[in-house]
This record gives sequence, C-alpha cells and structure tokens, in this order.
Amino acid sequence: MHSQLRVLRVLVEDNPGVMARVSGMIRRRGFNIETITVGPSTEPGRSRMTLTVDAGHAEVDQVAKQLDRLIEVIEVEDITDAPTVSRELLIAKLDKVPPTVEQYGARQLATGIVELTADSETVEEFIEFLKPFGIKELARTGPVAMRRSA
Amino acid sequence: MTGADMVLEALEREGVEIIFGYPGGANLPLYQRLPAHPKLRHILVRHEQGAAHMADGYARATGRPGIVFATSGPGALNLVTGLCTAFMDSVPMIAITGQVPTAVVGRDAFQESDVIGCTQSVTKHSYLVTKVADIPRVISEAFHIAATGRPGPVLIDICRDVQQAEGGDFEYSYCSVLPGYKPALEPDLVQVERAAEMLAGARRPVILAGHGVILSHAEQELLEVAERSGTPVGTTLLGVGAFPVQHPLALHMTGFMGTGWNIKAVQNADLLMMVGMRVDDRVTAKLSEWAPKAESFVHIDIDASEMGKNVRPHLEVVADAKRALTAMAPYVKPPPADRGEWLTQIDAWREEHPLKYSRSNGHLQPQDVLIDMYRRCQDEAIVVADVGQNQIWAALWWNYTKPGLFLNSGGSGTMGFAFPAALGAKFGRPDKDVWCVAGEGGFVMTAQELSVAVEHQVPVKIVLLNNFSLGMVRQFQDDFYGGVRSEVDLTVMPDFVKLAEAYGLKARRVDRYEEIKPAFDEAQATPGPFLIDFRIDPEANVYPIVPLGKGLDDFWELPNGA
Repeated sequence: MHSQLRVLRVLVEDNPGVMARVSGMIRRRGFNIETITVGPSTEPGRSRMTLTVDAGHAEVDQVAKQLDRLIEVIEVEDITDAPTVSRELLIAKLDKVPPTVEQYGARQLATGIVELTADSETVEEFIEFLKPFGIKELARTGPVAMRRSA
Repeated sequence: MTGADMVLEALEREGVEIIFGYPGGANLPLYQRLPAHPKLRHILVRHEQGAAHMADGYARATGRPGIVFATSGPGALNLVTGLCTAFMDSVPMIAITGQVPTAVVGRDAFQESDVIGCTQSVTKHSYLVTKVADIPRVISEAFHIAATGRPGPVLIDICRDVQQAEGGDFEYSYCSVLPGYKPALEPDLVQVERAAEMLAGARRPVILAGHGVILSHAEQELLEVAERSGTPVGTTLLGVGAFPVQHPLALHMTGFMGTGWNIKAVQNADLLMMVGMRVDDRVTAKLSEWAPKAESFVHIDIDASEMGKNVRPHLEVVADAKRALTAMAPYVKPPPADRGEWLTQIDAWREEHPLKYSRSNGHLQPQDVLIDMYRRCQDEAIVVADVGQNQIWAALWWNYTKPGLFLNSGGSGTMGFAFPAALGAKFGRPDKDVWCVAGEGGFVMTAQELSVAVEHQVPVKIVLLNNFSLGMVRQFQDDFYGGVRSEVDLTVMPDFVKLAEAYGLKARRVDRYEEIKPAFDEAQATPGPFLIDFRIDPEANVYPIVPLGKGLDDFWELPNGA
C-alpha cells in the first residue's frame, strides 16, 4: 500500500443518509479519500466503515476529528500504525482464465470470472498479472481492516 | 395526539416561548394546531431569512435556542443563509421545516426540495422525520445537540402526513446522552497546569479570546488569569466584550482589521494562548506570516477539530473555556519581574498606533455617530451590527466592557443580518435597549421585516450608516484593486425616512454633526421602533486594515493628511 495511505476504522449509526454525511464532510473539507467500504457491524443498528485516506499525519488527524464531529459517527480510529489485517475483494472477467491464478490464491468463480481476496498490494500485483489475459471487466471493494488480536 | 401537537407540546416542554416562522403548504398541520398552544408566541416574519436571523439574534441575546418554522422547498431554502450564519458563529437554533408527504418524497413534488441535503454543511445535525412516533425523541435530541458543547443549528424536516398522523400518547424525556455525541467539557488537569507553566515561562505572552469565552460565560475567569499572570488580552471580532476594552491589559480587537497595538503585540509575542476561537483567516491574515516570533501556541477550545485545523498548537486543551480557565487559575503564577518591559512596549505601540479618524472633509463621520451613541448607552444596550464597514466601526468605537452586548455575523459575514437579529434580540431581552447598526446596502436586504417591528411595536432603534455605496467593497477596490470602482454605487436607494414612514415607523435624517444629538434624543424618546438615516462621509474607510493576502505586519493606518 502507498506509504501516504492511512487507514481509519469508523463506527457509524446505520441511519439513512449517514453515508452522504460522511462523504459530504470529506468533500467539503477538501480531503482526499482513496476508498470507503461500509457494511453492518456486530452491533445492531450500527455500521462499520473502513476509509483509506491519502494524507500525512496532520491531515488524517483532521479527517478523524471532523468525522468525529458528526453526530452519527460513534467512533473513529486511525489504525495505520497498529498491527492490522487488511483485505479486499476483486472479481475480474477475462478473455481467458490463466491456469496459474491459483498461485495468487485466486479461484475461478464462473466461466471467465476469477475472484481474489488479498491485501491491496497483492490485488494490484494480480491485476498486472491478469492484463495479458484480457481484462474485460473488473470490480474491487476497497480494503476492510481490523487490528490483530493482542 | 397528532404529530403537529407532539411537536408543539415538545417545544413547550423545552421551555420555548417564541417561534419565528412562516406558514405554507407543507407545514399547514403545524399551523392548524398552533392556536391551541397559546404558550408559544409566534412571530410572522415577512421572509424566512428574517425568521432565521431573528431566531439567531434571540439565541445570541438569551443563550437559549432560537426556534424557526418554515414550509418545504423555497420556504426552507430561504433559511439556508440564516442557518449558515448561526453555524459559523456557533449559535443554538432549531429549524422545523415542513416536507412534502412521505408518499411523494423523491418524486419532485410541488415545493419539494432536498432540504437535508441542502443544509447538511450549515447545520450541526439534521433529521428527516417520516414516522410520527419519532417526533418526541427527535425534538429532545435536537435541543440537546443545539444547545450543548459547541452550540449550533439543528434542522428537523417533518413530512406533512407525519404532522397530521395520529401518534398515540405523548411521552417526553429530555435527551442528555447520545452515543456519537460527547462534548468534551472538562479539561485535562495535566494540560491546564502545563498551560499555566507555559504562560509563566513566557516573556511576551498574549491571550486571544474568542466567542467561546462569551458562550461559556468565562469572562471573570479570563480576567482573573490575565490579571494574575499579567498577560495582555486581545479579542476576536466575535469575542468583543469578553475582556473590558478599557482595562490596562486590553489589546482590543485582533486580526486583519484589529488595532495597531494588538497586531504589534501578536506579531511580537513569544507565546499565544488562544481561548474559545477558531484562529481563522480574519484573525491571522496570511497564515505563514502570523505571530512569527511565537515559540509556543496554547489552544483552548471545546471543539477538538479546531486543534491544528489552522494553527498546530504546542499544547491543546480540549474543554469548555470556563472550565479550562477555572481549572487553570490555581496554577497561574504572578508575572516575572521583567513583565513590565513587555507591557510598557505595548503601551508605546498603543500611543504610536491609536485608533483615529479624520473630520477634515466636513462630512458626517460614522465614528462621531457611534461615539455619541456609546456615550448615552454605556454598558447597558445591545448593539447588533450588520456586515461591512459599519460592523468594524461598531466593534472598534464602542468601549465594550461586558460580553453579550455586541452581536454580529462574524464568521459568515451575512449582509442583512443586523436588523432581523436585533428584533430577535429585543424579543428575547425586552429589558435591554437594542440598537441596530447597519449600512444601507445590508439594511435593504432584509428591510421587509420593518413590518414585524411595527406590528409588534418592537422598540429597536435603527442607526443607518448610509454612505451611498457598498463601503467595504468600495474601500477594497480603492485600496487593493487599483481604484477601479466597480458596481458599488448605491446612490439610487429609497428615501429611508419615507420608507420608514411607509412601513409605519418614525424616522429622521441626519447630515451634520450638530444633528446627531437631537436625532438620538428623539429616537430614545420615541416609543417603538425608530430609524435614523445618518448620511455619512462616502469616503470614510476602516483603518487599520491589512491588504488581502498580506501578513498582519503590513497593516495600513489612516493615511496622513486624510
């Protein structure tokens, strides 16, 4: 992952419009967000977001504080420097699926379609690897992350 | 109970006494039930922006949230400027807007607009209510959010069918806790002790006080810390009144239209302690040239996101200003022996760079108007200023000794704010004399509210500083944009005395110095509203001023021989 990228874990109330509030705040404060992923958390009525922000320390501190100001944001945590696991999902439609995809831990999902779950760096490498095989369509989720157990 | 009754009942429970509003298609159910709630006084404005500014003025003058009603679409959108004004200056307000019925939301129904979307960046929080059962909870949360922590406006958008729906029994509980909202009130004691040590260790310290000091009523604590530590204190525009201007340690207003001695002190300070302020561009001018000799910055503010937003402090105290200063006071040490040198230097700058104006061209000078006004009001009246030259003159030429007497739109700089805000202030504080100081440009932007003043005989006295132009813009064009006077001429304006008379209030015109006193005498002797059209020097300027884009050190003063 790019060295300037920082990872924020955000717990939000699962209300309509909360994504608009988060993304609107990010836009109007002029922050540069690389990815946002969102999904239900273990707590009912709350969602978990993972944001990757292209910024140095000072700016990401402002992103975290501005996010925390939002009433529906319950918790913001910068986990960039913590030991974490981070994964993203990629699916790609190819002209021809090479037999060696398994060396990346990828697998074939359907005719011409492969899936990989890996850290973002490996996903990037895998895309480079696939290019000669004719990528017709590609979708990736952006990373989700959490701290490792202590 | 219907949704509309629930709203009104909840407002009563929250102690609301007055609502500024305007009915329309999407809030008809609310207005149908309003007469059944006689404890709620409703002021029918003439434009929704007026309602928002009245609620804002009411809130600034009383400390309680101002309440606004408006209908959907254009009604709600007319609030946006007023919401932004309140948001930028941390003013508690609750706007309740009607929305089209739930069945047609999102279908471009008549007078539908995405009010939540349009106001998201100018509200502290907002709610779209689509279920009648949510009304009590939403209103109690809105009051909690608007009035606590760093205050701000909250908007509640309620679909018309929800207002009409039967909601069963009404149960109301006051909100005090929300999972994602925990205002930091108490300071960290280690940090306040450290702040006091840094203050004691500084040779040329300066304290700057902002609106947060006034909002938290910390003026006594500020005075104590300043006097015990022998530290001079300047204020921001919104902090005017937080520290008595006549005090020997007072630096008066800071920033790009601040006093010369304040600017000198800030630019030579080795420590700056900023209390309850945002350190915005009007305070710092060119940021890279601000406070170049400061070795340390201490920042005290209730909003953690202000830390490092503009200036990276060496010490952060995220807390309510009053609690932080109270906690700091026991650690504050008397000044070192050489403090006298710093204060003597500041006195010298005060002598060298006094506030001044010139009467040499024979025109009526705005400063003379304000000085006469101050002489008769002293510390008892509330002055609500508009935006532009009138605002800065009113900030600098009154000797405010108490907080809460000078109200203005500092962050948003909203022209047209002063008059409706003055009405709101007077509705909230009938015991206080309330004066509106405005230029003619800003005044006509919301002058339709003269009908409200007449209808309710609100005794607000309007001091129009009429210079026949957009004075501040004209000054910027003259001073910083090559002297090209472009679209600033306002010589074609109504006859303000006749305009006032047409609305039904008394008014008077003043062209000469000798007429100031009798005009004010008449205004004060007249019950109800009164307007004085002071036709001031069209070339009068605000000084000191820092050219746009320059650092504070480059401040200009009144040119010699002017």
